[in-house]
Amino acid sequence: MNQALLWGAAASLIPLVIHILNRNRFRTVEWGAMHLLESVIRVNHKRFRLDQLILLLVRCSIPLLLAFCLARPVLTGTQGLEGESPVSIVILLDNSYSMETNSETGTRFEKAVEAATRLIGETSRGSEIAVILTGGIPTRLFDEPVFDSDVVIQKLSRIEGGMGASDMQAAVDEALVVLAGMSHARRECIILSDFQNHDWEVIHKDTLQAIRRQFESLEIVPELSLMQLGKPVQENISVDSLSFPRRALGVGQRLDLRANLRNHGPSNVENVRVIFRIDGVEDSVTQLQLAPSAETQVLFPGEFKTPGSHVVEVEAVTDDPLQADNRFAAAVTVWENIKVLLVDGAPSSQPLQGETDYLSVALTPLTFGRVQLLDLVETETIQVKELDEERLKKSRVVVLANVSKLSDGQLKLLETYVKDGGAVLVCGGDQLDLNWYREKMFLDGQGLLPVSFGPLLGEVGEKSSSTAVLSQRFDHVALEFFNDPSNGDLSSATIRRWYQLAVPSEASEIVTLAMLDSGDPLLVEKNYGEGVVVQMATACDADWSDFPLRPVYVPMMQQLITTMASRISPPRNIQTGDSAVALIPDLSDQVTVSVVTPDGLQRSVKTVTEGTAQLARYEETQRPGLYTMSLPSTEAIHFVAETSRAESSLDLFDEKELAALADELSATVLESPEQYLKLDRLRRHGREVWKIALAALLGLLFLELILQQRFARVRA
Amino acid sequence: MPHVSDVLTPHDIGKFTNLQVFAKQVVEGFCSGLHRSPHKGFSVEFKEHRSYVPGDDIRSIDWKLFGKTDRLYIREYEEETNLRCTILLDSSGSMGYTGTRSHGLTKHAYAVRTAACLTYLMLQQQDSVGLVTFDKKVRRYIPPRARPKHLQAILGELEKQNPKHETELGSVFHEMVAKLHRRGLLMIISDLFGDVDQLMKSLAHFRHANHEIVIFQIWDPDELDFPFRQWTQFASLEAADNRHLVDPAQLRNAYLEKLNQFREQLANGCNRHRISLVPMTTDQPFADSLAAYLALRRRAK
Repeated sequence: MNQALLWGAAASLIPLVIHILNRNRFRTVEWGAMHLLESVIRVNHKRFRLDQLILLLVRCSIPLLLAFCLARPVLTGTQGLEGESPVSIVILLDNSYSMETNSETGTRFEKAVEAATRLIGETSRGSEIAVILTGGIPTRLFDEPVFDSDVVIQKLSRIEGGMGASDMQAAVDEALVVLAGMSHARRECIILSDFQNHDWEVIHKDTLQAIRRQFESLEIVPELSLMQLGKPVQENISVDSLSFPRRALGVGQRLDLRANLRNHGPSNVENVRVIFRIDGVEDSVTQLQLAPSAETQVLFPGEFKTPGSHVVEVEAVTDDPLQADNRFAAAVTVWENIKVLLVDGAPSSQPLQGETDYLSVALTPLTFGRVQLLDLVETETIQVKELDEERLKKSRVVVLANVSKLSDGQLKLLETYVKDGGAVLVCGGDQLDLNWYREKMFLDGQGLLPVSFGPLLGEVGEKSSSTAVLSQRFDHVALEFFNDPSNGDLSSATIRRWYQLAVPSEASEIVTLAMLDSGDPLLVEKNYGEGVVVQMATACDADWSDFPLRPVYVPMMQQLITTMASRISPPRNIQTGDSAVALIPDLSDQVTVSVVTPDGLQRSVKTVTEGTAQLARYEETQRPGLYTMSLPSTEAIHFVAETSRAESSLDLFDEKELAALADELSATVLESPEQYLKLDRLRRHGREVWKIALAALLGLLFLELILQQRFARVRA
Repeated sequence: MPHVSDVLTPHDIGKFTNLQVFAKQVVEGFCSGLHRSPHKGFSVEFKEHRSYVPGDDIRSIDWKLFGKTDRLYIREYEEETNLRCTILLDSSGSMGYTGTRSHGLTKHAYAVRTAACLTYLMLQQQDSVGLVTFDKKVRRYIPPRARPKHLQAILGELEKQNPKHETELGSVFHEMVAKLHRRGLLMIISDLFGDVDQLMKSLAHFRHANHEIVIFQIWDPDELDFPFRQWTQFASLEAADNRHLVDPAQLRNAYLEKLNQFREQLANGCNRHRISLVPMTTDQPFADSLAAYLALRRRAK
């Protein structure tokens, strides 16, 4: 408000002065017709005084209001005005794949970028700007807040949407970190998102309150605003997931790939073409119908002619508004063969008397059956003393069958082998040096062995104390094959002797694969470095159980060993935002590896030395899809970054829900950048009320005229 | 032809300090425009012959004399002085008002001049004229006489007038009834300010005594249109302590309404009692009063 002009309000005294002067500087008239005048005065005396008072008030108000108008007053509430002071602003820009939803006016993401550009463009000079992209793992557009809005706008124009599902909680946390480090006295946090039901419903009410408290606990409490972009869309078809056996796959072996498709819309969709591709080449096509809100599964059988890294992809061809979720890919590693080293702790020259004889047969049934088909697994049986670095290097899995103990050097080699991604199965037996196992191999939980071998239970030959595998649903990928009863029943075998494996309850890294009826674990697993160690409580031959004599033994050991072998580590199917990591064995020098991203861009990463191998790590996997890493050996490794398909349901928060969310977060709901700018102007410059005052002034002038006319019409 | 009296508006009054000269000018100027000379009466007593001049009524030609002399003579008669006229002049304080448009002439001065004119005219016609001046009581009573010398007495009295007291028309008129025991014509020159009912009762009293009444009601233009704008203290001309400080604009409409009401009451009252009410404003020519008087006389014949 212009205070100097407010002095004009003193002009309100003028009518008062005029009134008083008028009353004092009157003219005297000697009047004859007093009897006429007197009666009028007598009747209207009180009313004259009241009328004069009212008129005087109105007349005094006119200059007062005029001065008020000229001073151009603004309403600011209780706050002081900031004027054009710079601001610290954090924009959370949702670039998750649901923002790719298209409409006639463009995608939601395009609108979000447009809004962000508008907001940033209007910030006052010297403002501090940070943009956090919320798709997948929250990512900052710049490492540090930027003071040049043009730079931010330029970079904004180049970013792309279609990243993984938003983790709004993580994004808000990131925003809090950025806000805490900003410098200006006024702080803003604006979330530009489609506000999908899913993104926010997963955040519990308590968490929202915690977020609010975090905002409020900042030294300078920022203004939080929510701007919803896009309209709710219901029609959408997505390929939700691919499911296939995760164990190792050999050349020519059949892969049963199940694609889960979902219709998120309320209407029936007919003739959806679903294409199955292997390494980008169409393998088969099917057509199906999707009922409203229905989920369906399509089975695609496929096989691979070459070993190595392959990509399978399922695409639903529709014209729904969101195309990003119509494809789902998976990286599959096909093995030529899996070399398994069987270390026989109790060898025998007699057939099937050796400790590993049954196992060897079970793993290579085709070779033993002299069938033309090739076994995926290739076994080599050695004695304990033969275990050396050369053999270990060639093998994917090592089985220690009833091995009494290893030399320190062998143990060291084995540890390195597992650490670099190898797999070891340790089976029990009567030859075991329990002390060595406990002291050297278990090492209080620090060694290779998942748990220490406990007391030996059961008696050979006595059926009364025998036990069996507990019938249960198997969660572990190695045994889930037996969840289908037609694939065999593990509980049919009788186990007569076994070691008690005491799994400490607090050891979360140890997973029990199967239990015995007696309540003791049969198989436990522990990750060690990049590799895995599985420990079996009983022997792998027929001495302590009749397992090897049962038909179920073959698939069980096949599943167990191939699963252990195919534990590709690091994994090739990752979540968006996780690093795509490839271990390149047989390479000791640093090299540059090129990576092709899902949007076709070529990036390069330098490998780092990790033990005896090189490690290539590519971090920028925010966008779901296929990342292809080309190794120096021209071999390609495929990574598929996947994201939650919960965002495929394109329902958005309606007005009420958004208002409730804003309420929880003490935020303001914005409908457009214009609304924000208007609010901002209001905050900066206050609300101009002179127009109202002017209207009142004109009203008063008019009122004065009317009153004057009206008051002249007094009672006679 | 414009009347000479038209020239003698109140504006020119300053030239006439002598009431007699003034009255003569007005009356003779006024009368010269009339076809029939008002100087001559209509009484039956013969007075003289005079030569016929065109414009004379041929009925008044003495045909006998024409037969004898072969010349046309008009036979004139001494008019019967059957008219006793009393002028009642209001000398109360309210008559002392003078506005900007009346050129410094108070209502009373205007009334005095009107009375002078009327007196002069009637004495010229050999009617007897009397004068009563009054305010809240009768101040001076000069009984009616028809002698030409009587003019001096009346004009002398008129010149002495100075209005200052309150009026009490009702009681004054009642008082007058007893004094004016012979019926005649009463000419009341007043602003009639006061209680209308009282006034009407007293006028009725006059009428009851068979008096014929004509009222010349004198107004100042200011009293009729209330032209005041700025804050004004109205001080009564009659009572020294009666003053009111008002914003005239505020009560103008009410005043005018009250004024109309007052005039209407008067008009109605006079009508009822067959009294002629002649309103006059001080910016009008004096001859209007004479014209009004003559019109009245003609009606009465």
